[in-house]
Amino acid sequence: MRKGQILTLVGIGVVAGGIATAVAVVPTWLPTRASVEAGRIDDAIWMTIIISIVIFSVVAAVIIYEVIRFRAKPGDDADGPPVHGHTGLEITWTLIPLGIVTAIAIFSAIVLSRNGNAGVDPLRVDVIAQQYSWTFSYPDAKGLTSSVLRLPKGRSVLLTITSKDVIHSFWVPNFGQKQDAVPGLHPTLHITPDRLGTFPVICVELCGLGHALMRSEAIVMTPASFDSWLKSQQQAVTSPNASVSGAAVFKDNNCSACHTLTAAGAKGTAGPDLDKLPQWAAQAKQPLESFIKTSIVDPNAYIQPGFPKNLMPQTFGSLPPAQLNALVQYLISSSKKG
Amino acid sequence: MTAATLHDAHPPAPAHHGTARRLLLGAGWIRAAWMFCFFALIGVGLVVGIRFAADWHPFLDKQIAVLVGLLVMGPVGFLAGIGCFDYWVYYALGRPTRPEDHSGHGARSWKDYFRVNTDHKVIGVQYLVTTMVFFIIGGMLALLIRAELARPGIQFFDPQTFNGLFSVHASLMIFLFIIPAFAGLANFVVPLMLGAADMAFPRLNALSFWLLPIAGIMMVSSFLVPGGAFACGWTGYVPLCSTHQPLGAVFFNQAVQWAGASSIMTALNFLVTIITMRAPGMTFWRLPLLVWANFTTSLLVVIATPFIAGSQFFSMFDHVMHTSFFNAATGGYPLGYQHIFWFYSHPAVYIMMLPGFGIMSEVISVFSRKPIFGYRLMALSLMAIVVLGFSVWAHHMFVSGMASWLRVPMMITTLLIAVPTGIKIFSWLATMWDGKLHFNTPMLFALGFLSMFVIGGLSGVMLGAVPVDIHMNQTYFVVAHIHYVLFGGSVFTIFAGIYYWFPKMTGRMYDEKLGKLHFWLTFVGFNLTFFPMHILGTEGMPRRVVDYAPKFAGLNMFISLASFGLGASTIVFLYNAITSWRSGEKAPSNPWHAMTLEWQVSSPPPVFNFDEIPQVVGSPYGYGIPGAQHAILAPSHAPAPEEVAVT
Repeated sequence: MRKGQILTLVGIGVVAGGIATAVAVVPTWLPTRASVEAGRIDDAIWMTIIISIVIFSVVAAVIIYEVIRFRAKPGDDADGPPVHGHTGLEITWTLIPLGIVTAIAIFSAIVLSRNGNAGVDPLRVDVIAQQYSWTFSYPDAKGLTSSVLRLPKGRSVLLTITSKDVIHSFWVPNFGQKQDAVPGLHPTLHITPDRLGTFPVICVELCGLGHALMRSEAIVMTPASFDSWLKSQQQAVTSPNASVSGAAVFKDNNCSACHTLTAAGAKGTAGPDLDKLPQWAAQAKQPLESFIKTSIVDPNAYIQPGFPKNLMPQTFGSLPPAQLNALVQYLISSSKKG
Repeated sequence: MTAATLHDAHPPAPAHHGTARRLLLGAGWIRAAWMFCFFALIGVGLVVGIRFAADWHPFLDKQIAVLVGLLVMGPVGFLAGIGCFDYWVYYALGRPTRPEDHSGHGARSWKDYFRVNTDHKVIGVQYLVTTMVFFIIGGMLALLIRAELARPGIQFFDPQTFNGLFSVHASLMIFLFIIPAFAGLANFVVPLMLGAADMAFPRLNALSFWLLPIAGIMMVSSFLVPGGAFACGWTGYVPLCSTHQPLGAVFFNQAVQWAGASSIMTALNFLVTIITMRAPGMTFWRLPLLVWANFTTSLLVVIATPFIAGSQFFSMFDHVMHTSFFNAATGGYPLGYQHIFWFYSHPAVYIMMLPGFGIMSEVISVFSRKPIFGYRLMALSLMAIVVLGFSVWAHHMFVSGMASWLRVPMMITTLLIAVPTGIKIFSWLATMWDGKLHFNTPMLFALGFLSMFVIGGLSGVMLGAVPVDIHMNQTYFVVAHIHYVLFGGSVFTIFAGIYYWFPKMTGRMYDEKLGKLHFWLTFVGFNLTFFPMHILGTEGMPRRVVDYAPKFAGLNMFISLASFGLGASTIVFLYNAITSWRSGEKAPSNPWHAMTLEWQVSSPPPVFNFDEIPQVVGSPYGYGIPGAQHAILAPSHAPAPEEVAVT
C-alpha cells in the first residue's frame, strides 16, 4: 500500500466517523437516567457505540475508496491480480476483533455483576403483573399494595417480579433495568433510583390485546415523603371503614387498556364498550348489576357477540369484595350517565 | 441422455382412458381439489367418530375438527392429488414403476411450472416465484402496520387485527420468503455448480416445494378464521400463544410444521447431493463458496429445525388438548418453550444468513475479477458459525428469568460469533481491493449488503453485551437490528442472487437501468425506514404495540412515510422481472464471464444440465491467472436451441 492510499483511506474514514459520531451524539437517544444501574448500563452502551463507530468508519472508508478507485474503465475486460490471500492479514483481522469482543465481554460482566448486587438491606417490593395491569406490594409494610410504584431516592430496591397469567416484562426506560414477569417464577431486579420524578412503567413483552396500554408510573420521592406516604397508606389499610372508590379500582386495574368508558376517559377497543352496559345486559337478558358482577368475576359466563372467549382475563375474580362492589356500582352509575 | 430421447420418453396418455376420467384421476389440480376435500372429510370423520365412540360431548369439537381435517389431512390429500406421492404409491403397491420415466422432468411450457416436476431447475423457479408472492403479501402487511403506527392512538385496526398483522408479517417473511427463497436459488444453482445432472432425490425435492404453498396459505388464511389470526408474534411465546389465543394460533403451529418439514427435506437433499454428486475432481476445497454456504446451512437446518417442530407441537397440544408442557398454572414450565424455540430460532438466523454469504462470495469475486481472498478461511468461518451458532440461543433470553449465571457464558459465545463474521466481511473487502469492479445490479446489491450488514452486525454485538441488551431488549432497537440483518442482509443478497442468475434461469437479460433504479430506491428507502428505529428503541419505545407515547410521534410518521417509498421500490423489481422474462434480450451462456460450472452451459441450461459430467481441474475463482481452468467440459457440448425451456 502506498502512502497516498493510506492518507486517502484515513481521510474518508475520518469523514465517515464524523458523520457517525454526529448521528450518535446530536439526537437524544437515551431517556433521562434515573438510577445508578442505568448509569452503568449507559457506560456499556457508549463503549459499544464508540467501538461500532470505529469499525463502521474503517469498513465504510475501504468500501468507498474501492468503489471510487477500482472501478473498471468502460470496455476494460481484464481481470485483477490473482491474489489468493495473505496469512498475516488474515491473522490480524481474526485477532483484533477477538481482542475487542473480549474487552466488551469483560466490561459487560463487571457491569452485570455490580448492577445485580442489591446490598445488605434493600427495600423489597413485589411486582405482580397480570393482563393488563401492575400491582406493587411492599412486604415490609404489612402487605401494602399500590397500582403505582413509589420508591425512595437513593435506597437500593430489590423487586421480585412475577405474573398471574401470561409472560409480561417490567421496564422503566429511565431505570434501564428490565425483567420478564413469568408465571410460576420469581426473578429479582435491582434498582437504586437517583433522580426525583415520575417515570413510565411499561410492559415490553407482548401479553395480549391490551399490551400496548399496560402502563403505570414509577414515582421517585424523597425518603421522608416516601415514609410519610407509607404511613398514611398503612392507616388507610388498617382502618375498617376505609371507603373504596370504584373509579380508583377501575384505574388501578387498568381497565381502560381494553374498554371504553367515557366517565373514566377510557378509550380501549379490545373489549366491549362499557358505556353501553345497560344495552348489553338487556341483550343478555340479565339484570344490570348481576350481569356486570358476573362478567368481571367469570368473564366466560356470557360472551358479548363479536368477541372471542378467553379474551377477558379471569384474574379479576380475586378482587377483594369491597373493591368489586365499588367497581360494579361505579360501572352502573357511569354507564347510565353515558 | 439427449433432448431427443427425452422427448421420446414423454409418454402419450394410454388411449383407452377417457378424457374425463383422466382429468379426474390423473395427477393435477382437479384431483388435488377433490382429494383435499375428501381427505379433509376423512379427518373430520375421524375426530367425530372417535369422540362419538368415546361418548364425549359435544362430539364435534370445532377446534380439533379444523386441526385434523383442514390443517393435517386436507393438505395430505392435496399433496397426493397434485401427484407428489404417485411414484412411491405405485412402488409400495407393487405396481409397475418406470425409474427412467422423465415425463415429469423439465418444463416445456409455463403449465409445467404448475405441476409436480422433478427438475431441480424448474423447482428452483417454482420456489422463487412462490416466495416472491409471499414476500409481496408480507410486505403489504408491513405497510398496513406502518399505516397504523404513523400516528399515536388507534386509527385503522383493533388490537387483535394489528397483533395479527405483525405476527403474520414476520412469519411469512421468515418461513415463506427468506428461508425458502435461498432454498430456491440453491436448488437451481447447486447441482449445476457441482457438475451434477440433478439433485440426489428429485422426487423428494418436488415434495419439499409443494409443502411450502400449504404453509403459506395456512398462515395467510388465519386472518379468515373466527377470532382472527394468531396474534402472539412469530415467536409464539407461551402461555399467551397456547392458552389465550383464538383458533388462528393452531394455524400458525401447524403452518410452521409444514414449512419446517419442507426445510428439512431440502436440507437433507442438499447434504446428500453435495457429498455424493460432486463431479470428478471437485474436491471440497474446490467447491464454490455458494456450495459451501448451502452445505453448512443444510447442517444447521437438519440439526435445528426439529426443535421448532417440537416446540410448536407442545404449544399446540397445550392449546387444543389441554396438556401442561408450558402452562405454569398446571405444573408446566413457560421458559422451556423459549429454550426449545430459540435452540432452533437462533441457528435459523444463520440459516437465513449463510446462503447469502455464499451468494456474496460469488458476486463479489466475479464482479471484481479477482479470486476470493482467503478461500479456505472463508469456508472454515462458515463451519465456525455453524458450531458457535448452537451455543448462543439464550442471548434472546437475557431478561427472561432463566438461570442468571447462564448469561455471561452465552454473552461470550455470542460475541465470539462476531469474529468469523468479521473475517468474511474483511475478506470480501480484500477481494475487491485492486480489482476491476463492475457495478452491475448484483454487485450494487452486494455492496449495499456489505455496508448495511456491518451496521446490523455491530448492533448485534451491542445486543450481545448483556447490560446493553437489558436496556434494548424488546424495544424498536431490536426491530431495527433484525431488519438490518434480515432485510439489509438476507433480502439484499436474495436480490443480488436473483439478478445474478436471472439470465441463467430465464435465458433473458434483465434491464440494467431498472435494476439499478430498484437498488437505489431500496437502499435509500431501507435506511430511512429502519435506521430511525434504533433511536426510537433506545429512547424507550417497545415493539409489538398498536399505540405508543405521543413523544415518539414525529419519528414514527417519518418511518411510515419512508416505508411506503420502500414498498414502492418493489414495483420496479416486479416490472423489470416480468417484462424481461417475457421479452428481454436473449442471454448468452456466460454474460458475467464467470468460471463456475453453471455458466459453462446454455442459458437456460439443458434439461439434464451437462451432456457429459465435467472434469474439475482447478479452483472456481482463478480470475487473473493466465490459462486457469475450473473444469473441462465435453468438447461436443453445444447448447441445443430446442431445449430452451421457458416460453
